[in-house]
Amino acid sequence: MLLKQAGYRKDKKIIPYLFTSLMWCGGALIFLIFLGLIFELFWQGKQAFSVFGFHFITSTDWNPGEQQFSAGAALVGTLVSSCIGVVLALPLSFGCAYCLNELMPQRFSKYITASIQLLAAIPSIILGMWGFFILVPLMSQYVQPFLKNIFGNVPYIELLFSGGTYGIGILTAGLILAIMITPFITAIMQESFANTPVMLKESAYSLGATRWEVMHQVIVPWVQKGVVGGVVLGWGRALGETMAVTFVIGNAHHASWSLFMPSNTIASLIALEFSESAAGSLKMSSLMALGAVLMVISFVVLFCSQLLLKQVLKSR
Amino acid sequence: MAQDVKKLQGRTNHLITWRFIKNRLMTVFAFSTILVMLCILISVLITLFINGLSGLSFFTLTHMTAPQGLPGGLLNPILGSMIQVGIAIIIAVPTGILGGIFLAECSNKKLSTIIRFIADIMMSVPSILIGLFVYILLVMTMGYSALAGSVALALLALPVIARTTEEALNMVPSAIHEAGFALGAPKWKVILFICLPAAKGGIITGILLSISRMAGETAPLLFTSLGNSDWSWNILKPMASLPLTIYQYADSADDTWIKLAWTAALLITFFVLCLNLIARIYVDRHRKKD
Amino acid sequence: MTDNQVAISIQKVDFYYGAYHALRNINFDINAKKVTAMIGPSGCGKSTLLRMLNRMYDLYPNQYAKGNILFDDVNILDKDIDLNILRSRIGMVFQKPTPFSMSIYENIAFGIKLYERPSSARIQEKIETALRQVALWDEVKDRLHRSALGLSGGQQQRLCIARALAVEPEVLLLDEPTSALDPISTAKIEELLDILKEKYTIVLVTHNLQQAARCADNVAFFYSGGLIEVNDAATLFTKPAQAKTHDYITGRFG
Repeated sequence: MLLKQAGYRKDKKIIPYLFTSLMWCGGALIFLIFLGLIFELFWQGKQAFSVFGFHFITSTDWNPGEQQFSAGAALVGTLVSSCIGVVLALPLSFGCAYCLNELMPQRFSKYITASIQLLAAIPSIILGMWGFFILVPLMSQYVQPFLKNIFGNVPYIELLFSGGTYGIGILTAGLILAIMITPFITAIMQESFANTPVMLKESAYSLGATRWEVMHQVIVPWVQKGVVGGVVLGWGRALGETMAVTFVIGNAHHASWSLFMPSNTIASLIALEFSESAAGSLKMSSLMALGAVLMVISFVVLFCSQLLLKQVLKSR
Repeated sequence: MAQDVKKLQGRTNHLITWRFIKNRLMTVFAFSTILVMLCILISVLITLFINGLSGLSFFTLTHMTAPQGLPGGLLNPILGSMIQVGIAIIIAVPTGILGGIFLAECSNKKLSTIIRFIADIMMSVPSILIGLFVYILLVMTMGYSALAGSVALALLALPVIARTTEEALNMVPSAIHEAGFALGAPKWKVILFICLPAAKGGIITGILLSISRMAGETAPLLFTSLGNSDWSWNILKPMASLPLTIYQYADSADDTWIKLAWTAALLITFFVLCLNLIARIYVDRHRKKD
Repeated sequence: MTDNQVAISIQKVDFYYGAYHALRNINFDINAKKVTAMIGPSGCGKSTLLRMLNRMYDLYPNQYAKGNILFDDVNILDKDIDLNILRSRIGMVFQKPTPFSMSIYENIAFGIKLYERPSSARIQEKIETALRQVALWDEVKDRLHRSALGLSGGQQQRLCIARALAVEPEVLLLDEPTSALDPISTAKIEELLDILKEKYTIVLVTHNLQQAARCADNVAFFYSGGLIEVNDAATLFTKPAQAKTHDYITGRFG
C-alpha cells in the first residue's frame, strides 16, 4: 500500500506503450514486405499462369506477336549462367581466402582484403559496362576462339562451344557473375577460416603438415558448412543479378546448348522487355510471373544458404 | 651447416618432396587468384578513368541532359540521384533502426528468429524484384515517380540497416544495459538513450554502406522513377538518376552519349568507393577505441 | 643419473614477441628417454620455450628467437631447417584435445600419410600400435571409423598423443596436456608418460607441481623469462638450491 502511494506503480504512461508498438511495427514491416513481395508477384502473374499453365515453365516459346510467352529459355539461361559464375568463383574465392588468411602476413592482407571488398561495392551496372566494352571484345578475340580450338572437335562437348564468337552470351555473363560474387564468397570463407581454433591448426602443423595440408585436411572439414553456405549465398545473388548480365547476355529468346550464343536470364528479360509491355497486358503479366518464378528460386537457394550459415554460428 | 641441415632431413623421400611441391603449387595458385582479382579491380578503375575523366568538366556538372546531337551535361541525373537516395534514407533509417531494435530486444525469441531469417534473405533478394513490387504497389496506382524510386531503394536498405543495428545493439556490453536498468530507467529510455548511442558506430557504418549500395542500384529504378530527360522538383513525377542515365546512354550508338555514360559511371564509382573507404576507416577507428 | 644422453641442448636462447623480451639467456640440456618437466608461474616463458623446440612460433610474424638449440647436432633455430621434417621428429600435444573433424582412423592416418603411403593393412597395423601405446585401442577398436569428436575429453587427448606417436617422433612435447581433463583421465595420461619414456624423450609443461613430482625425472623452474634452476625432480622438490624455487614449490607465489 505504501509502495503504491509512493509511485512504485508499473509505468502505464503513453511513451513506453508507443515505443513498444513502434518497435513491433519495425519488425512487422520486414515480415509484411516479404510476404507482400511474394504475394503480389504471383497475383499479378496470375493471368500468365492461368493462360499458359505448366507450359509457362517448360516451354521455350517467346513470341509477342502471337501472345506466346514462357519462362523456359530464360530459366535455363539463369541457371546456366549462375552455375558458370559459381563454378568460376569457387576456386577464385577459395584461393583468395586461403592466401589472405593463411599465407599472407596480416599487415598486407588487411589492405588486399579491403581492395577485394571494394570490388564488391562497385555497382553492377558499372561492371556491366566494363564487361560490355572490355570483356566482350577480349572474349570474342581471344577466349572464345581459344576454347573453340581446344574443345571444337571433342564429341558432345563441342556443342557447348559452337556458334559464332561474338563475345556476348552465357559464358561472358557467367564470367561477370563470377567476378561479382567472388568478393562475397571470399569474405564468408575468410570469416569461416578465421573461426578455426588456432590450437587445431597448430596441432596439424606440429605433425609436420604443410600449409596446404592444414588448409585442405583440417580447416576445410572444420568449416565445411560455412563454406558451402557462403557458396550457396553467392549463387543466390548470381541468380537475380540484373544490370551486369543485361549488358553482356545478348537478349535472345531461345535456349541452346552453346555457351557462346546470346541468351537471356529471367532478370535481364524482365529489365529489357518491361518498357515494351503495356500495363495489364498478357506480356506484363508474364513478366510478373517470371518475377514470381525468380523469387521462388532465389528464396529456396537463399533459404538453404542461411540455414547452413546459421548452423555454423550455432555450433560455435 | 648445410650438411647438417641435410642430415635432419634424413626422412626425405619422394612422397615428402611431392607434398612440398603440391604445397608450393597451391601457394602459387592462391597468390595468382589474388592477382586476378586485383587486376580486374584495377582494370575497372583504369577503364573508368580513361573513358570518364575527359567528360568530367564544369559544363557536364552544371548542364542538363540534352537530346542526341546537342551538348548535354549530367546535372539532372546527379540531382535526381541525390534526391532519391536522400528520400530513401529518410524512409529507411528510422524504420530500419526500429526493425533492428525489434530484432535485438523482442522477448519472443521464436518470432525474432523468423524475422531475422527473413531480413537476411531480403538482403539478397534480387533488386529487380523489389522494383517490380514497388511498381505494383505504387506505380500502378500513382504512375511513375521519384517517390516510388525512393521507396524501392528504401526497401533495399531496410533489411541491411535493421541487421546492422541489431548487431551493433548486441555488441553493447550487457553491463551497460543493466546499469541503465539499475538506475530505474524504463526500457525505452535505456534502449533509446543508452544502447543506441553506444551502438552508434555500427549503425552509422550500416547506413553508409547502404547509401553506397543504393547510389548504384539501377534495376529497381527502371520500373519506378523511370528517368526523365528534363528536370522537375516534383517528387511525384518521373525523375532522372545517374544509373538510369548510364543504362540509357551506354546502350546508345552516340559517341558523346557513351562518353557521358562513362563520366556518370566514374562519378558513381568514385562516390561509392569513397563511402566504402570512409565506412571502413570509421569501423577501424571504432575498433581501436574499444 | 648415469649415462644420460643429451637429446636437445639449449644454448644461450633468447625469445622475443615483437619488442617484448620473453626469454632471457636460457641454457640447459634435455636428456634422452627421460621426462623433463618445465614448471613456473603463468607467463614465465615455459610454454614459449616448448614452442621453440618445434618452431611453432614460426607460424606467426613478429616472433623470433636467438641462440642455438641443438637437436641431433643441428641447430634447429637455423632458418634453413625444414620445419615439416623437424616437426615430424619432434611431436607435440596441446592444452586442449585437438581432434580433427574426421574419424578416429583418419585422425591417426593423417600423420602417417604425411611421410609414407603404406598399404592399408600396414596403416591399420600402425594405427593399432599407436592406439595400444596410449591404451586406447580396447576402448575404440569397434568405432574406428566414427567421428573423433564423439570421444570423451580424456580419450580425445590420448588420441592426440597417439596421433603424434604414429608419426614416430623421437621427442614428444606436451603443453599442459591434462589441464582440460578430469582427475581420472589425468591419472591415465600420467601412467602413460611412464611407459612412453622408455621409447621417447618427453618434455612436459605443467602448472601442476604434483604432476611434475610424480612424472618427471628432471625439472626446470622458470620465472619471469629466466631459467632459475634445473635439477632432477627429487633434488629440486626436496632441496631447492634457489630461494625463488623454494618459494614457488612451497606455494608462496604463482
